[in-house]
Amino acid sequence: MKKSILLFSILFFAIVGFTGFKNAGRIKDKKGTVKITFVNTVKGNPIELNKGTYTNPFGETYSISKFKYYVSRISLAFAGGNFIEPESYHLINESEPEDLSFTFELNTGNYQSLSFLLGVDSLKNVSGAQTDALDPLNDMFWTWNSGYIMAKMEGNSPQSKVVNKKVEFHIGGFSGAYNVLKNIKLDFSAATTLIISSEKTSEIVIEADFDTWWQNPNAIKIADHSVCTTPGALAMQFADNYAKMFTIKKVTNN
Amino acid sequence: MKIKIIILFCLDVVISAFLIGASQKNEGPKPHYIQFKIPDGWPKPPTNIFAKNRLSEEGFQLGKKLFYDGRLSKDGNFPCASCHQQFGAFASYDHDFSHGYNNSFTTRNAPPLFNLAWMTTFHWDGGVNHIEVQPLSPLTAQNEMAETLDSVLYKLQKDSEYPGLFRAAFGSSKITSQRMLKALAQFTGSIVSANSKYDKVMRGEAKFTYSEENGYKLFKAKCAACHKEPLFTDDSFRNTGMAVNPFLNDYGRMKITGNPADSLKFKVPTLRNVLVTFPYMHDGRFYSLSAVLDHYRTGVITTQPTLDSLLVDGIPFTNIQKNELIYFMATLTDTSMTKNTRFAQNTAAKVSLSAHDSSHVAH
Repeated sequence: MKKSILLFSILFFAIVGFTGFKNAGRIKDKKGTVKITFVNTVKGNPIELNKGTYTNPFGETYSISKFKYYVSRISLAFAGGNFIEPESYHLINESEPEDLSFTFELNTGNYQSLSFLLGVDSLKNVSGAQTDALDPLNDMFWTWNSGYIMAKMEGNSPQSKVVNKKVEFHIGGFSGAYNVLKNIKLDFSAATTLIISSEKTSEIVIEADFDTWWQNPNAIKIADHSVCTTPGALAMQFADNYAKMFTIKKVTNN
Repeated sequence: MKIKIIILFCLDVVISAFLIGASQKNEGPKPHYIQFKIPDGWPKPPTNIFAKNRLSEEGFQLGKKLFYDGRLSKDGNFPCASCHQQFGAFASYDHDFSHGYNNSFTTRNAPPLFNLAWMTTFHWDGGVNHIEVQPLSPLTAQNEMAETLDSVLYKLQKDSEYPGLFRAAFGSSKITSQRMLKALAQFTGSIVSANSKYDKVMRGEAKFTYSEENGYKLFKAKCAACHKEPLFTDDSFRNTGMAVNPFLNDYGRMKITGNPADSLKFKVPTLRNVLVTFPYMHDGRFYSLSAVLDHYRTGVITTQPTLDSLLVDGIPFTNIQKNELIYFMATLTDTSMTKNTRFAQNTAAKVSLSAHDSSHVAH
């Protein structure tokens, strides 16, 4: 008798106890999901790697073979606070379609704006070997001058002055006078407030226009600068330009 | 009866939680964690390199195996140990530049590897900011190991031993660049040199000779500002007034910071084990300590704008004092480190040091 009570109690309370706790957790915090998708374009036309030919504001033509950048520390603002995605590091890589979108859970409610860091925060640049999006395997880490390449474009142009008419912009630098990190803030207009509903997924589509890299405020011609692969003044100019790369294209509430 | 059930319930919760937790992880046995010992009287390392890379016997042994494994290089001939030889205090013995893949030379003198746990920057120009990411440079440099990270990880994943060794060190057999780099840091970061004659004198276990004692006094007066005890470096970057090699055109720290004020500045090297780390300076231009001291006495180019302020008049000393300084520096050799079998390649694997595939060697 005692044994059967023991056995019964173990089974019963283990099952009832745990499902009970689980449900209680759900009721307390209503969660929904947001899906964020990046669409990389040149002047609104989706980038075609190795195929498309594009013209910059100075009439120079170019192609794109690689286009990738880090988006980190994503936060969504609601009335009276911010939701910050935990361990928020994403490598947006045009050549890996599955890397162009990601999702995370957050509390239900209305959100007014989206903020993120374009690049990888300085702490992660000095904290040794990282993994996942920050794995040096992603070819976004400088081995001779430690630090992440925050944004990278490679391609070709007839106007290039270097070997094989290459164009290579590897934009990085996280400290001192040559810090290219940019805080990006994108407001959802009143009509398209992001609404997160319980157990549903709402979607944000963000356009990243590579055409912004060439000018405003800094005019950069391929004929003058075919390559930028070190932290410094030129990288800072690129970063000032590409800080305006992003716009909210669409918000879909479900 | 009621109390019994309540007690049982509490027990259930605890036991079930424990069982569920344990069954979900599917991990191997825990590694044997070990303590990194700071020698008595030494400063604490500026950052604890093992804080997020907990030192274990298994991690150390895995790092050691990787350090001595030629497969980390493109053609199998250039393990880390090919340029960092234990008998030379893990520098390249008797080489101004080291040999790399496809009959190439490096462009700087290989630094010794010990007491790295106290170093905040790596390379002569300080371009690398963490011990864990240091191996990425030689591994991918075309004139060193000439490999890619993908290829190295592929070789390790296909190996018969490594998955088990990664499991022992990190709890699962998954081989990632992060784990490989952390294991290497556990090995290289554990190499400590703190048992030279100098250290024994400081601990009261030995006595300097008359000349060594005089040399020590001179050292403290003329050299210790940069080669700060007990590490014998202050980890800073300084221009010691040497002519630029026109073939290399190496301007040192400026390459990293982009700041002209850093032109011709190089990391102050430690003087520990200095007798076995010849040749000297960032490009190995001096083959003897005598030549180095002659540089400081009469060779400093005082017209270089970024010359270190402590060297504007060179460092004056007599011939006798020069010899005494060398006698003192000879007390900094630590054979308990350079001959420590704990840091040496495991003998069974030695046969295959330069083989393309050492996985077939019987153990």
